[in-house]
Amino acid sequence: MSIYIEKIAQISIQSPLSDEWMRDPIYPTQRHCRFICPDFKQFLSPATSRRMGTLLKCALTSAFNCVKEENRTQLDGIFTGSGLGCIENTEKFLTSMLENNEQSLSPTNFIQSTHNTIGSQIAIAFQCHGYNITFSHRGLSFDSALMNALLKFKLNEIHSALVNASDEMSDAYFKLFDHTGYWKKSICTTDDFKHAISSGSFAGENSVSFLLTDKKAEHTLCEIGDIELFHTPSDKELIDRTTRFLSSYQLTLNDIDTVVLGHNGDVENDEEYNRISNLLVPHARKVIYKHIFGESFTMSAMGVYVGATCINQQHIPSHLLLQEGSTGHHKPTNILVVNHFKKIDYSITLLRSC
Amino acid sequence: MAEKIVVTGYGIISSLGIGVDKTKEALLKEERFIGKVLHLQTEHTDIPCGEVKESDDELRRHLGINSDYIVTRTPLLAMTALKEALQTSGITDSTNTAFINGTTVGGMEKSELYYNEFFNGKHTEYITAHDCGAGTEQVGQLFGHFSFMTTISTACSSAANSIILGADLIKAGKVDAAIVGGTESLSKFHLNGFNSLMILEHEACRPFDKNNQGLNLGEGAAFLVIEKESNAKKRGAHILCELAGYANTCDAFHQTATSAESTGAYLAMSKALQNAGLKTSDIDYINAHGTGTEDNDIHESIALKKVFGENIPPFSSTKSYTGHTTSAAGAVESVISIIALLNNFMPANIGFSEPIDATGLKPITHTTKKQLNTIMTNSFGFGGNDSSCIFSKYQVS
Amino acid sequence: MDKTLVQELKEEIIEVLNLEEMKPEDIDASAPLFGEGLGLDSIDALELIVLMEKNYGIKLKNASEGKEIFRSIEIMADYISKNRTK
Repeated sequence: MSIYIEKIAQISIQSPLSDEWMRDPIYPTQRHCRFICPDFKQFLSPATSRRMGTLLKCALTSAFNCVKEENRTQLDGIFTGSGLGCIENTEKFLTSMLENNEQSLSPTNFIQSTHNTIGSQIAIAFQCHGYNITFSHRGLSFDSALMNALLKFKLNEIHSALVNASDEMSDAYFKLFDHTGYWKKSICTTDDFKHAISSGSFAGENSVSFLLTDKKAEHTLCEIGDIELFHTPSDKELIDRTTRFLSSYQLTLNDIDTVVLGHNGDVENDEEYNRISNLLVPHARKVIYKHIFGESFTMSAMGVYVGATCINQQHIPSHLLLQEGSTGHHKPTNILVVNHFKKIDYSITLLRSC
Repeated sequence: MAEKIVVTGYGIISSLGIGVDKTKEALLKEERFIGKVLHLQTEHTDIPCGEVKESDDELRRHLGINSDYIVTRTPLLAMTALKEALQTSGITDSTNTAFINGTTVGGMEKSELYYNEFFNGKHTEYITAHDCGAGTEQVGQLFGHFSFMTTISTACSSAANSIILGADLIKAGKVDAAIVGGTESLSKFHLNGFNSLMILEHEACRPFDKNNQGLNLGEGAAFLVIEKESNAKKRGAHILCELAGYANTCDAFHQTATSAESTGAYLAMSKALQNAGLKTSDIDYINAHGTGTEDNDIHESIALKKVFGENIPPFSSTKSYTGHTTSAAGAVESVISIIALLNNFMPANIGFSEPIDATGLKPITHTTKKQLNTIMTNSFGFGGNDSSCIFSKYQVS
Repeated sequence: MDKTLVQELKEEIIEVLNLEEMKPEDIDASAPLFGEGLGLDSIDALELIVLMEKNYGIKLKNASEGKEIFRSIEIMADYISKNRTK
C-alpha cells in the first residue's frame, strides 16, 4: 500500500500558508521568533475563534487550508502532536490561580489548556467523528502522531488523515527555558547551524497540517513511506531497523539521495546529526531547516514539510544545504528525514517522489 | 484470523492502595477512599479527593529510589504501577517492546509550586520535568530498553488510547509487546480547573444518581503488559485475559459538553463491539465512565440505551471508589475490570440511590458475584475524545 | 431598571466573553443570552458566574442557578442589584 502527502499548510515564523521560504526565507532577527499570522478573519468566524488563543487559531487555519470543505466530515482520523499544548492558556490559568489564591478562576483558560484541545477543536470544526488522538512526547510528539496515522493506514482502517503539529513559545516559557540553556545568548546566524560551536538554539513556533491519503491525486506532493521511532538506539539498531524498513520499499541506504537533518545550532545536537547521517547515508546531500524555522518540540514536522516540498518542486534551494556546493545535479527522489531529541528519542521518515 | 492480543501483566496504584490485591480487597469490601487531601497543598480543603495515601518519599522508598532523585509525583505513581505490571508478566526483555504512557498533568504538580521561583533561576530541574513526555522518559528508562516510547495526552481517555495504540502496534507487527497505561497525580491546577467548571462534588460522588452533584478527582496509575499470543506462549507467560476489541472516536461537538445524541460514546462502544466481532449480548458487565457529573451520566446512559437497547448489561462506575483518576482512568479501570473478570464479580457503584429521571438506569449497587466472560470499559474525555475497550477471559487458540 | 448597570454589564460581557465584533448597543438587554440571541453556551455561563463573583461579590453554589439569572441582561441586572455585596 502507498500513502501520499496530498497537501501541507503551515503557519510558522516564515510567511504563512506559503512556500516562499523556498525562494526568499526570513532569517531570525531575535532569539525568540513568534508566529507570522495570516488574517484569521478570512478563515475563522468570530464565533468560532472568540475563545481561542493564537496557537489554536493557527492550528484551525492550517487545518482548514489543508482539507477542502467537502472532504472534512469524511476524514477518517485526526492525529495531533504538541509538546507543550496550549501553553499560553496554561500559563494564564496558572498565574491567575496563584495570584487569586485559587478563587474566582475563569474556566476558559483551563479548558483551552489541555493538549487535546487542538485535535478536538479541529474535529469539532470538521464534524469529524473518526479516530482522534494527541501525542505529547517532547521532540517526538509530531513523529508519534505521524507514526499512528501511518499505522492506521497499514491496518487498512483509514483512507485519509489529517496530521497536525502545533507548538507555541510564550514569553514566560521562553524565559524559563532560557534558564535551562535551551536558547543561545545571541541571535543565531546561519553559520551557527553549519558549524555550531556553542550550546542552545533559537525559539520558533509552528502549526502545520498534513493531509495524507492512500490515493494519488493531481497535486499530490510525494509518497510517504514509513516512520521508525527509536529510544536510545545503538548504531547497529539504527542501521538494522532503517535498512529493514527501507527494504520493504525495495530500497537500500544507498538509494537515499537526500537527508533532512534537524541542526539547531547547538553543538551537541548538531554533532549527533552529523554522526548519524554519516553512519547511515554518508553519500546523501544534507538539508537543514531549523535555521529558518527555529526550534520547538514539534519542529520535526517542518523537516517533513521541507523534504516533501523539495521533492514536489524537484529542487533543493542552496540556502537549505548544510554544505554549500553539494547540490549536485540529481533531483531529490528518496529522502530520509532524521530527527533526534537530546540523543534519547529518534525518528527516521522516508519520503519518495511519485 | 488475526492473532490474539493477550494481557500478561497488570499493575495499579490508586487511593485504594498499591497493587492488584489491595484493589481487589477494597472492591469486594465496598470500601472507598475519598476524603480530605493530605499531600496536595490547596486552599480547597473542603473538596474531597481520591488521593493516594503514600507521600512522594514513601513511594520513593517503595521503589528503592534515592531521595535526591529529581522526579515528580505523576511518574512516581507510574513507576509503582509499572513495577507490578512487569513483575506479574515476568517479561524481562524489553527489546521489540513499546512503552506508551498517557498523561496530561505531567510535571504540573511541581511547576505550580515553584512557578514564581523558576523565573529567578531556581528549581530549574522541574522546568524540564514539566512536559508530559519528561515523566514518560524517566519511567521508561528505569525499567528497560524499549524499542521506542511515546506519550498520549487526550485528557481523561489518555490511558485508554494508549492501550489501543499498543494493540494496533502489535496487530501491525511493529512490536511483539507493549507496556500501556497512564498516570496522573492530583495537581492544584486541574483541581482548580475542574472547580472552575463547577463539576466537583463536595461529598463523595454518586455516579448515575438523580441527585449527582459532580465528580471527585482521584489520582493513580495503572499499566498493562499486552502482547501477541504467540509471544506470550513462547516465553511461557501466564495469560491473564484477552484484549478482544477497542475503538477510539470523537464526539466532535463541544469542548466540554456532550452532544444530545451522545454520538462519540455511542460510536466508541459500538465500534469496539464491531472490532471485537462480538454481539451486544456477549457483554457481561460494563465498567462505565460514570464520572458523577450530570452531563456525563445522562449522556452515557443515553449511549448505553442506544447501543444495548432494552438489554443493558449490569454496569457500575468504580470512580465511586477511586475518584476520577483523569488521564490514568482508562488504565485504572481496565485493571479493575480485569480483576473483576478474573475473580467473577461486579464491583458496586457506591453512593447510588435513585435513577436519573430521563433515563431511569440503575447501576449495580452492591458488589455481586457473577460468572463473567466478557467485559467493556469506557473512557470519555474533554473535547469528545471517547474510547472503549473490551476484555475477555482467555481461551486457548 | 438600573440603566447604568445594564450598560456596565453589556461592556463587561463583551470583554469577558471576547465578543470582539460587538458593541454594547448591538445587544438587546431583553433578548435571551443563550440559544438564540447572543448564542452563548455552557462555558459562557460559567464565565458569567465568575464575572458576578468578581465584580459584584455574588457567589453561586451551583451552575444550574445561572439558568434563571442569565435569561437576559435585564434579568441579570435585576438580580445583581438585589444581591450585590460590592
